[in-house]
Amino acid sequence: MTRTSRRVRCEDVRELLPEYAEPGPRPAGPLEVHLASCVGCRAELEQYRSLLSSLAAYREVEVAVPDGYLNGVLHAARIASYRRLVPTRAHLRATSVRVGSAVRRHDRGLRYAAATLGGAAAGATAIAIVWWSIARRAMSGAGAL
Amino acid sequence: MVTAELLADCRRGDRQAFEELVRLTHRRVYSLAYRLTGDRTEAEDVAQEAYLRMFRGLAGFREEARFETWMHRIVTNCAISMLKRRGRFGDVLAEEPADVPVPDSTAPRLADRDALSRAMATLPEGQRVVLLMKDVYDLSCREIGEEVGIEEGAVKVRLHRARKRLKELLDDTHEQAGQV
Repeated sequence: MTRTSRRVRCEDVRELLPEYAEPGPRPAGPLEVHLASCVGCRAELEQYRSLLSSLAAYREVEVAVPDGYLNGVLHAARIASYRRLVPTRAHLRATSVRVGSAVRRHDRGLRYAAATLGGAAAGATAIAIVWWSIARRAMSGAGAL
Repeated sequence: MVTAELLADCRRGDRQAFEELVRLTHRRVYSLAYRLTGDRTEAEDVAQEAYLRMFRGLAGFREEARFETWMHRIVTNCAISMLKRRGRFGDVLAEEPADVPVPDSTAPRLADRDALSRAMATLPEGQRVVLLMKDVYDLSCREIGEEVGIEEGAVKVRLHRARKRLKELLDDTHEQAGQV
């Protein structure tokens, strides 16, 4: 037999109870009015609330871990941390891209610097050759005497 | 307990801090992985993969208060990837049961917990995973939808059915116990 309370049927209320049992504030409405007057629906609501409490507590029930599981996970974690210290190919590629873009940004300055250094090197080489040929001639002249 | 200081040390790349984090959380991680996969070897693989992802992801993680949820999401994600690779993800997407998983015989044998554990194991896979993630591990319906790959509304429907079914199963168990 279907019982009713202020036009709300028990079947309709009980269909809503799995969600309604979740903790949190609820606005007062026909469902609350029905629950206040229906012992059966109130008992069912309490059963759902108890079920949700049991499920939340179930999280604390831990499954027995196999032997060696913790060491295996720690080992994997150590390998992962070493990998982070050694640069990967992706890291090297990123670094070369960064250096390349820095060179392009300072292109004109670098060209001036390279030209200055090249000029200085060429000048020093020419002076050394002249000095060496003079010294060689002087030595050969002394040998002839 | 995982503290904000420990997480900060992990973020700085302190290897010992991360090992401490593993020691503190490994049972919780393994339990969730096992409950999702139903297989001990797969649970170990899932846990290991989850820690590697956590290790990589911790540098960018800033919500210390939500660490557990973050960790549960990573484990769930790894478990679902594993189920997909093994061709068993269909059981999660399909709401009706493909087969009934065997309850873990080594689980704690406390009366209520045992009844709850056995009742949960008989739920259809698609309902069991959603119930586990929402009511046991406290993920939101939106988060579950993202992980499983279904709409938030579909998650709510499954959750509703799972709670009703679980209550019926436990009621039957209590009735049978009362008749003995």
